[in-house]
Amino acid sequence: MSLVYFKNVSKSYNGFLILDNITFTMEAGEFVSLVGRSGVGKTTLLKMLIREELPTKGKIYFNERDIAKLKGAELALLRRKIGVVFQDFKLLADRTAFENVAFAMEVAGYSEEDIKKDVPEVLKLVNLQDKADHFPHQLSAGERQRTVIARALIQRPELILADEPTGNLDPINTWEIIKLLVKINELGTAVLLATHDKEIVNTLGRRVISLENGKIIRDEQEGKYLI
Amino acid sequence: MIANLKRIIQTAWKGLTRNKWLSVACITMMVLSLIIFTSILLFNYAANTLIRTLQDKMDISIYFKAEIPEEDILKIRDELLGNELIAKIDYVSKDEALAAFKEKSKYNPTIQKALEVLGDNPLTASLNIKAKSTADYSKIVEDINNSAFKDKLETINLTENQKIVSQVDRLAKAVKIGSGVAILLLAFLSFIISFNTIRMAIYSLKEEIEIMKLVGGSNWLIRGPFLLEGLLQGLIASFITTLIISLVILSFGAKIENFLPGIGLVSYFWSHFWFLFMLQTVFGLVLGLVSSFWALNHYLKV
Repeated sequence: MSLVYFKNVSKSYNGFLILDNITFTMEAGEFVSLVGRSGVGKTTLLKMLIREELPTKGKIYFNERDIAKLKGAELALLRRKIGVVFQDFKLLADRTAFENVAFAMEVAGYSEEDIKKDVPEVLKLVNLQDKADHFPHQLSAGERQRTVIARALIQRPELILADEPTGNLDPINTWEIIKLLVKINELGTAVLLATHDKEIVNTLGRRVISLENGKIIRDEQEGKYLI
Repeated sequence: MIANLKRIIQTAWKGLTRNKWLSVACITMMVLSLIIFTSILLFNYAANTLIRTLQDKMDISIYFKAEIPEEDILKIRDELLGNELIAKIDYVSKDEALAAFKEKSKYNPTIQKALEVLGDNPLTASLNIKAKSTADYSKIVEDINNSAFKDKLETINLTENQKIVSQVDRLAKAVKIGSGVAILLLAFLSFIISFNTIRMAIYSLKEEIEIMKLVGGSNWLIRGPFLLEGLLQGLIASFITTLIISLVILSFGAKIENFLPGIGLVSYFWSHFWFLFMLQTVFGLVLGLVSSFWALNHYLKV
């Protein structure tokens, strides 16, 4: 049973084809890099996986369920099983790092006791335990991205989608974030990393799916960035 | 469940106090809407009371020739009571008519003197007829004109009444339709005003709503605080509106009574205070709830 299954998925905007007949599977606990130039459709593919966008053609399955058919509460549940790390962070400016992470638990209906127990643990995992009371503007870009990862992790997801998570970071912070994603993967969570950073992909030495002109041109275990 | 409820209440209160100026704008718009709503209720009462007063004053008076004996008049009265359009008939004898006339003109020495000079009672006996419905007066007059006792009558006081009857009827219908249309129209306008103000407030939080959705917040959990905030705004607006209208009634009650004598608008307001407050609060709550619900729907499509 695959965790993710894209079956002949195409996506077009105003008649302009972005993704063309995409088919691939991803297993539980796998680490996959999705590579390609900017604008090739990596973000669109990730957005379709959390149903922020719907495919124009084809079907997307998560744990064998067609996500286009999910109703309101089921969709909320899907999004709790898929944590998302956004390039632009999407943190709430008027809440501290602790509150931003707690926010994901609040909207899922967790109790205050659970929040007080789980949030410090996750902040410790991303090495932000000392910055829990800091607001986003008081954090560095790397720290903000680690807060986002903590928020994505807090609901113990089965899959983490990371959309260019290092796009706004310097080399040191970039590697800290990548190491953190590897660590999360080693703890059992599948990771789908969308990036156009050649060095990261080649150093990771994991499965690589390469996109060009809206199509998958290569899908290799222990692949390289060859575009 | 309790954790969710507590969180919804806390978030709603935070929302209300966080965007102070937007909350003030929303509540102000709702207060305006509620003032219009309550004013229409009061206007409707005043118009209906005025119409009822006019309708009560309406009747047909038929005056008999002086030589017609009382027993004949009473027979005619009994005959007329058989007409199903007629609610009530009062017989006024010559003596009663004179007594009433004297009483009415007791401060007018000229009339008093004229009556003394005449010596005899110049007034005639009459029947005052009240119809069951104001719309039937014309038909009753027609029936009387076609009756066998028509030649025993001196006059039928109908011309003036007929005009009033049709005017009051038209007024009653116009008020009924007009106030219904006004309530619907103003309720719609109030809704549009409040809806847009609340939508502005929610627009400023669209990023927060989007993030809530993307991290797995269910629609109802996201909606809850906004709906409660809308309800709270409606409730606060209702309290403020009641305060404003009460102050206006307290300050200008005497002037209102002078302007609309016999309507009893001020006493109606105080005797129906809780009823009006309840209606207005329900309107405010529905306004807040529906506006928030609709304004939010757009952002929950993520």
